[in-house]
Amino acid sequence: MTIIAVSGGKGGTGKTTIAVNISLILSRVRGHKTLLVDLDVDNPCTYTLLGVSLREVVHVKSFKPEIDELKCTLCGECTRYCPTHALVLIADKLLFLSSLCEGCAACLYVCPTSAIKEGRKVIGWIKEAGKGVLDVIVGEAKPGERKTDDVMEETLKYALKKLQPYDYVIIDTPPGTSRGIYEALKASDIIVLVTEPTRLGLADLKRLYSLTRGIGRPIIVTVNKYGLKGGSYRELEDFLSREDLPSVFIPYDNSLLRSYIRGECVIEQQPQAPSAQSLLQLTDKINEIEIKIKKKGLL
Amino acid sequence: MSICEIVVASGKGGTGKTFIASNLAYFLAKSNHNVIAIDADVEAPDLLLALGGAKGILWKNEYYGAEVPIIDYKRCMKCWKCIEACRFEALRKGERGPIVDYNSCEGLGVCGLVCPVDAISFKPRRTGLLYAAYSSLDILVITGELDLGGKNSGRLVYELKRKAYDLGKKLDVEYLIVDAAPGIGCPVISSLVGASLLIIVVEPTPQSIKGAQRLLTLAKLLDIRSVLVLNKYDLNPGYLGKAASLLGVPVLGKIRYDEMVVSAYTSMTPILMLAPGSAVSRELKTTFERLMGLLT
Repeated sequence: MTIIAVSGGKGGTGKTTIAVNISLILSRVRGHKTLLVDLDVDNPCTYTLLGVSLREVVHVKSFKPEIDELKCTLCGECTRYCPTHALVLIADKLLFLSSLCEGCAACLYVCPTSAIKEGRKVIGWIKEAGKGVLDVIVGEAKPGERKTDDVMEETLKYALKKLQPYDYVIIDTPPGTSRGIYEALKASDIIVLVTEPTRLGLADLKRLYSLTRGIGRPIIVTVNKYGLKGGSYRELEDFLSREDLPSVFIPYDNSLLRSYIRGECVIEQQPQAPSAQSLLQLTDKINEIEIKIKKKGLL
Repeated sequence: MSICEIVVASGKGGTGKTFIASNLAYFLAKSNHNVIAIDADVEAPDLLLALGGAKGILWKNEYYGAEVPIIDYKRCMKCWKCIEACRFEALRKGERGPIVDYNSCEGLGVCGLVCPVDAISFKPRRTGLLYAAYSSLDILVITGELDLGGKNSGRLVYELKRKAYDLGKKLDVEYLIVDAAPGIGCPVISSLVGASLLIIVVEPTPQSIKGAQRLLTLAKLLDIRSVLVLNKYDLNPGYLGKAASLLGVPVLGKIRYDEMVVSAYTSMTPILMLAPGSAVSRELKTTFERLMGLLT
């Protein structure tokens, strides 16, 4: 079993598109049992691109204060100790602002009249779908709750317990360089870093590349939207050759753009398109690296 | 006069937040308004690049965004109350007392609050950087970087905004333009708290509309007035009406897709400056003029 993480720093470079398409290639085209894990809990899109419907399997929860108004004397101790200002005293009422709460429970311990009780709130969900040879696990944060990192980490933990039946596990990550992303990269065998030939794409790729250094996994850079006019090609190529990174280029063709706009997958809609062909090349590259690390006995 | 804080966010990444925010900041500055641009995407900060890069750094500070516990094992009587109280499983039993897992610690200090013998003190931990710089286009930008692999970028965003308000009051600033992170999580909530207006940037794809709907749910919870900018609308013109009706918020403007936007980033120049007469620049101007009308 091989775990492949797809990441890249910047938003909208094509992480999900690439994760979904290589999952389809590995499963439907090549017949491997594959699991796709969607950690973009802020806006998970893998399942809509695949056109599958999900079932909820876990409610991710966190602490919330349960206020007993009869016992509360409006002394304000909790508002003073709440490190994120999620409890506010307004006139003769104690307000709880869930969006600001990080669930530390300081309020529970400082209330002198025990007016605050242990409560639980849902901060997100873990969902699943099976589609024959390709299964999906999706984390989804509840809008309005700030602990989206926790939903990401819980989804990753849940998925890592379910790896056994699969030949391949593809982990799609959100934009950024947060702890949750780091954990996902650390759990993987091969890292695919997706970028685009723009100055912003390169700046964010460099940040994420620094994050991967301590992890020591083989990296494949995938330059999506290759051919975009006016792009920062020289800077990107300098970086790739300086760091000696294997790379695959996905052309920005009409087939890819059209399927993306319709919320579909190019490998299924237009398998002959140049973009679809380079996605096949990317999958081959992944297999090459897999063979190399297997030889070294790392897998 | 109070400062008007405009947040540009999207729910989904790559729809054009930095594009809209950088051009809006440039537009306001060119119209003789006093403006500060804030890059609240501290995991992938690019706004300064889009505004010409840094000409001069005004100040640069390390940010200490967490208070991490230090255990005094001589005092600890191993009652383990701290372990019970910690909601983040950051403490475990050890020979001499609790052992802290600094990776899981959120730095909110509850362990110290419950310790009956004051055996826990706190040390601030660096979680990022923040700095203010004039861009080469003379626009004041406040930006930050979360340390790689860090957590709780929302706290750093609060700090960026606090600094911007402090500086803004001193400099008589009228507008704060906040370029938010993608998504709806912790940094985006921090960006939205206290904002005057939210501009949601969408592109005509189902993925983007879904992200925008989720963002809108959050904006409604926080009671923030929202408007829509339909970016790259001509890539899927049939989707326009559907997008607007799905979201049910007023459309501030629509901006076509132009490959020149990529060249604008390459040359680190807002498109309004690079190609002021282009169709895309005209649409940006119309959108921003409408925004001004909305705010006055």
